[in-house]
Amino acid sequence: MALRTVTRKLGNKFFPLLSSTSHLHSHATSFGFKEVKEEEKAEMVGNVFSNVASNYDLMNDLMSAGLHRLWKDRLVSKLNPFPGMKHLDVAGGTGDVAFRILESINRVKQRGIKRDFEDILEAETKIYVCDINPNMLNVGKQRALQKGFMEDGSLVWVEGNAESLSFQNDTMDGYTIAFGIRNVTHIEKVLSEAHRVLKRGGRFLCLELSHVGIPIFKELYDLYSFSVIPSMGEMVAGDRESYQYLVESIRRFPTQEKFASMIADAGFQKVEYENLVGGVVAIHSGVKI
Amino acid sequence: MGRISKEVMGGAGKSLWEVLVCPLSKNPLRYCDETKTLISDAIAVSFPIKNGIPCLVPQDGKILQEEQDANDANSSAMNQGRSS
Repeated sequence: MALRTVTRKLGNKFFPLLSSTSHLHSHATSFGFKEVKEEEKAEMVGNVFSNVASNYDLMNDLMSAGLHRLWKDRLVSKLNPFPGMKHLDVAGGTGDVAFRILESINRVKQRGIKRDFEDILEAETKIYVCDINPNMLNVGKQRALQKGFMEDGSLVWVEGNAESLSFQNDTMDGYTIAFGIRNVTHIEKVLSEAHRVLKRGGRFLCLELSHVGIPIFKELYDLYSFSVIPSMGEMVAGDRESYQYLVESIRRFPTQEKFASMIADAGFQKVEYENLVGGVVAIHSGVKI
Repeated sequence: MGRISKEVMGGAGKSLWEVLVCPLSKNPLRYCDETKTLISDAIAVSFPIKNGIPCLVPQDGKILQEEQDANDANSSAMNQGRSS
């Protein structure tokens, strides 16, 4: 299988310093239902997203029957974006969440909701989009140019790893990660980095495919996941394996309750979650106090 | 106007480098005009900027020491040549 033959980057071998996240303890992690070495997961996930980047949004529309748009809207409405905010969107390379945040901020401005020193704040709205995959970032940057979002300099694209972010401590008002945390190697590190970069009072929000508990609906959802989605991936994106990985990785991800306790363990307060469509997706949130 | 220079920098602007830190040491990054890279002086590693996007995945970094080592190796080889 192509995904299994992935070899470690040479860089890891020669510069252990540069791969600090992977060599500390090299036990097995999951890649869908497969057990793989920790240091291999990032690259295998990288291949999945390089393969699907160009069809990513189309496939999201097809698989979720367009619902992913509503889920992302819900995520952003929970965030309550405001003019002048500093926000970090992680794993959002194609810009879906970032554009919604900007649109929401523009609507706030149009409604004429005045805030103190609004002019000063407006000039400083910054939405940082951080993704580990350059292909996804390039897709996002192109879309931003087409949509005219690049003109005021409030969108900033950065290639980076959620487990070792390149942003200063206590700098962000908000942090979002949509359909991303399931794909990382160490969830705990991502949460601790999110906590580090947020200001006190800053909000952590995570949108992720989660677990369905309702009996009959669960069986239907499983049937759809394992029978329909991989075939759809093959027909539309010409890539069955990436979508097989997708449905497997959803089942491996911690349950809503378990993930909420991990967020609390990272130091967040007021941790809560909301199930959408019976738990097909969940939005977890926490505040750094 | 500030806006023009921001556009030239591909929406990034100079202030960007002030917000970003080295993903490993979390110390400030310095923009090197000559190499068009971001340098983490604390650990002597440089990170590239591709297509206007800073690449700050730890594995993207290159250790600056290498060049220095290569020069040292050359000079010590020369010294050995002299003494024999």
